[in-house]
Amino acid sequence: MIDNTKCECGHQNHVGTVLCESCGKPLVEEVDSNEILEMRYDGVARRSQRANPNILDRVWNFFSSVKVAVYLILSTLVLSTLGTIYPQENTFFDIDPAVFYEQRYGWTGELYYVLGLSRTYESWWFVSLLVMIGMSLVVCSIDRVLPLYRALSKQKIAKHPQFLRRQRVVYQVEPDFSERPQAQWLEQFAARLKKRRYKVRSENGALMAEKNRFSRWGPYVNHIGLIIFLIAILMRSIPGWHMDEHYQFPEGEVVALPGTNYYLKNEKFTAEFYDKQELAEHQQLRGDVVASLYETKAILYECTADCNNPLKEPQLEKVHEHDIRVNSPLDYDGLMAYQVHYELTPKLLGVNVSVVDKQQNKRFDKFRVDMSNPADSYQSGPYTLELKNYYPDFAQDVNGRPITKSSQPNTPAFIFLAKGPGLSAGGEIFIYFVKDIDKQTFRQDELNGTLAYRIDISAASMEDVEISMYTSYLNIRVEQAMPFIWVGSFIFMVGVVMGMYWQHRRIWLRIDEGRLLLGAHTNKNWYSLRKDVQWALDGVGIEIEQEALDNKGGNSIELNHS
Amino acid sequence: MSLITVSGYGLLAAFIFYTLSFFGFFIALAGSKFSKRDPKEHKQRWAKIGYSLSVVGFAGHLVYFVARWVYGGHIPVSNMYEYMTFFSLTIAFAFLVFYLLFRSPLLGLFCTPLAMIMIAYAAVFPKDVQPLIPGLQSKWLMIHVTTAALGEAFFAIGFVAGVMYLLKTINFQSKQKSDVRQQRGVEFTLFVILMVVVFAGSVFTFNSFGYQAQFVKKTVNVVGSETSVSEEKINYVLPPIVKPYQSELVKSDSFLGLKKPLFTAPAWMEGVNAGRKLNTIIWTILFSAIIYLLLRLVLRRSLGSAIHPILKDIDEQDLDEISYRTIAIGFPIFTLGALIFAMIWAAQAWGRFWGWDPKETWALITWLFYAAYLHLRLSRGWHGLKSAWLSVIGFLLVMFTLVGVNLLLSGLHSYAGV
Repeated sequence: MIDNTKCECGHQNHVGTVLCESCGKPLVEEVDSNEILEMRYDGVARRSQRANPNILDRVWNFFSSVKVAVYLILSTLVLSTLGTIYPQENTFFDIDPAVFYEQRYGWTGELYYVLGLSRTYESWWFVSLLVMIGMSLVVCSIDRVLPLYRALSKQKIAKHPQFLRRQRVVYQVEPDFSERPQAQWLEQFAARLKKRRYKVRSENGALMAEKNRFSRWGPYVNHIGLIIFLIAILMRSIPGWHMDEHYQFPEGEVVALPGTNYYLKNEKFTAEFYDKQELAEHQQLRGDVVASLYETKAILYECTADCNNPLKEPQLEKVHEHDIRVNSPLDYDGLMAYQVHYELTPKLLGVNVSVVDKQQNKRFDKFRVDMSNPADSYQSGPYTLELKNYYPDFAQDVNGRPITKSSQPNTPAFIFLAKGPGLSAGGEIFIYFVKDIDKQTFRQDELNGTLAYRIDISAASMEDVEISMYTSYLNIRVEQAMPFIWVGSFIFMVGVVMGMYWQHRRIWLRIDEGRLLLGAHTNKNWYSLRKDVQWALDGVGIEIEQEALDNKGGNSIELNHS
Repeated sequence: MSLITVSGYGLLAAFIFYTLSFFGFFIALAGSKFSKRDPKEHKQRWAKIGYSLSVVGFAGHLVYFVARWVYGGHIPVSNMYEYMTFFSLTIAFAFLVFYLLFRSPLLGLFCTPLAMIMIAYAAVFPKDVQPLIPGLQSKWLMIHVTTAALGEAFFAIGFVAGVMYLLKTINFQSKQKSDVRQQRGVEFTLFVILMVVVFAGSVFTFNSFGYQAQFVKKTVNVVGSETSVSEEKINYVLPPIVKPYQSELVKSDSFLGLKKPLFTAPAWMEGVNAGRKLNTIIWTILFSAIIYLLLRLVLRRSLGSAIHPILKDIDEQDLDEISYRTIAIGFPIFTLGALIFAMIWAAQAWGRFWGWDPKETWALITWLFYAAYLHLRLSRGWHGLKSAWLSVIGFLLVMFTLVGVNLLLSGLHSYAGV
């Protein structure tokens, strides 16, 4: 069957058109109906309303339906809810989810895990739901925006009387044109509406006033924003676009950031706490300890040469420094470092010591011994110390031979070959324990024998001992998609404000043989539209109550006389 | 007089003047029959009085807010007490704005109690000014929380108008199945509102009589090979029916012969102080049920049908429009405050703009719901009753996001509370 979609005004409409695109005459319903017209999309045929849909058309039609869109939104809503019943897997460190959920929450927890709800938001069904929402956004928008644009850009001024009579705001009157001729009447009415920033067009005793048409594009603009947002989220899986790692940074150590060309040094970590009297009363009573500051003084280095050469030290160049706090991350060229956590981890980094001539009680030049990377030899005054062996975590095996238990400098011991005045020409072995307690435990002086009476290696004061007190835990991130996220959000806001805070208002009017028929439409805020009409009519000497404009159920229209 | 005292008086004044304003609006609507004046003039006069009183209340509310801000050195929206009083402030603000648009005294009759309920609800949380932890030391605290609260306040007015629409249009005489279902729905909604009032009231009452019970909760922490036991004291304001999971009673005042808790809170309740909160919920439901039954005995009919006649002269189309427009205005503000600003702050403080934290997820759920509401309304023509029901459900989601998430779920946003 071929629908005859030609309107009596001569306009050829597309299949599926509800209201003639040109004059607005209802095309599908019976002629006598007085029901208020359904005005959404101005009654135009959507792209999806085709006569003989093929498979592609059917997919398109599916996604073009607002009903489907609402179902998609509500499904996402329900599934998101399920995901908050128990904490998601990624909120825990170091768990075996297969065991954890059952242990902690019982059989419901096990069910939660088995159903995959413990990874709701990464699951294929949740992600595909989001993708479907994205498709729905695209299809719904294209399906409606083009026909709507076409219809709104070629509106006819004189609308069909049926179209006018079946609006929600209607007024009929026989104005007294003896005082004011019809043309002058229309001119004054138009001038009045122009004052309220309506765009007014008129021809042959018909008039059309329109304002804020742009607000009709609001929904499509905000959908574009959402699409950009969703695409940005998908782009995070592009290699190099997204990095999220946690590393430990002991004070004073330069730590490489794997996967980048950067190194980061924690110069100093500070944790400060509020004094008791600064706390609220109930906090004092509970004995709360409340932090006021976590800060890592960080220096960022970039490697300039020898970066991946295991034989050589990488050459580092300082590129940036920042005091990283909870709300103030380090941000350098897309590389971000966030304060996450800290631990009290006293650890020896190095000592500034010198050789002491015990007989003359003379202290020679200071030199720095690094606990993680000691030099091959040291010079202090006339003495030379050649490093023979280093045991960071000194112990003895079953045979009494020295070993190191780990690479951490817990019990650092150095074996030097000492040369200098008063020592034998080939040098003498000096065993040096850095910590006083280790010197006693392992009896350093006895080990060194007579040499212990001649020389010593020691620090002059505690200030010469470098200790790392804290280890700061930083979250190192790269998130290249962020600008797109913000742009998408911004466009969404623009669109949603356009659509919600302004309304497309239209007033049509025609005069046939001295009888005036007025109809008006808006997509929201009828109250203000009625006020506009009332105010405009008042300007041409017709005083009415707002309620008189309300076309309740379409049956209450009476002809008014003025 | 110190600033914090001034602040306290400000809030008290706000509460009192909102109450007076409520009576002003009540007289405007109900008193016209008893007045000798022309009914229209009477209504206008008393509505003006009611509105002026709520403006004075709002001024007091602002005094509270500004004085506390200056005293504490940071914007007072950093814990539950401060948030709820601020939420009440934004509700009052949204009402004052909307009243100028719609001039409906009825809106005042329903909005002023809502603002009061929120203040009363706030009063159950610790009131002292707390210093800010590092995580909250950001200008985004102010930006995010204030805009989110403002958006939610508009949803609150949409809810009020929605409930009024239901009370007005539902046929309370009918015994038809569909009508009965609607009646029950409204009755349930009113019961929930009653519960919030009773909750605030009972905590206030027990607090002022100095009731106390205390528990100690022992937690065994295993770090490597070392075990340590940490103790946490938990104070109850309401008599304990439920004791916290893995805890011992230290002391408890007797209440109507109830000295010992009857059972233990289940282990799966994750929120901070879940045991105490469950206890509070049980008392609230118990007291609310008693008060509800008493009301039914006095009124001899359902609450809904008792309120129904008050709304006689109101145009339901106006209510529908108010409800829709408040939600349409609130939606962009909510999106901005509760999602976009939240994402910006989260990206800055936690390094990720989105982490499916329960609070975040529930804000998204609320947003999805209102998005569905707008689509159903704009594209599928859901007006009137359906739309009103959605505005009620939407606000329940808002309240769950604000209160329920902290109560039942764990996450980054959990604060301590009753």
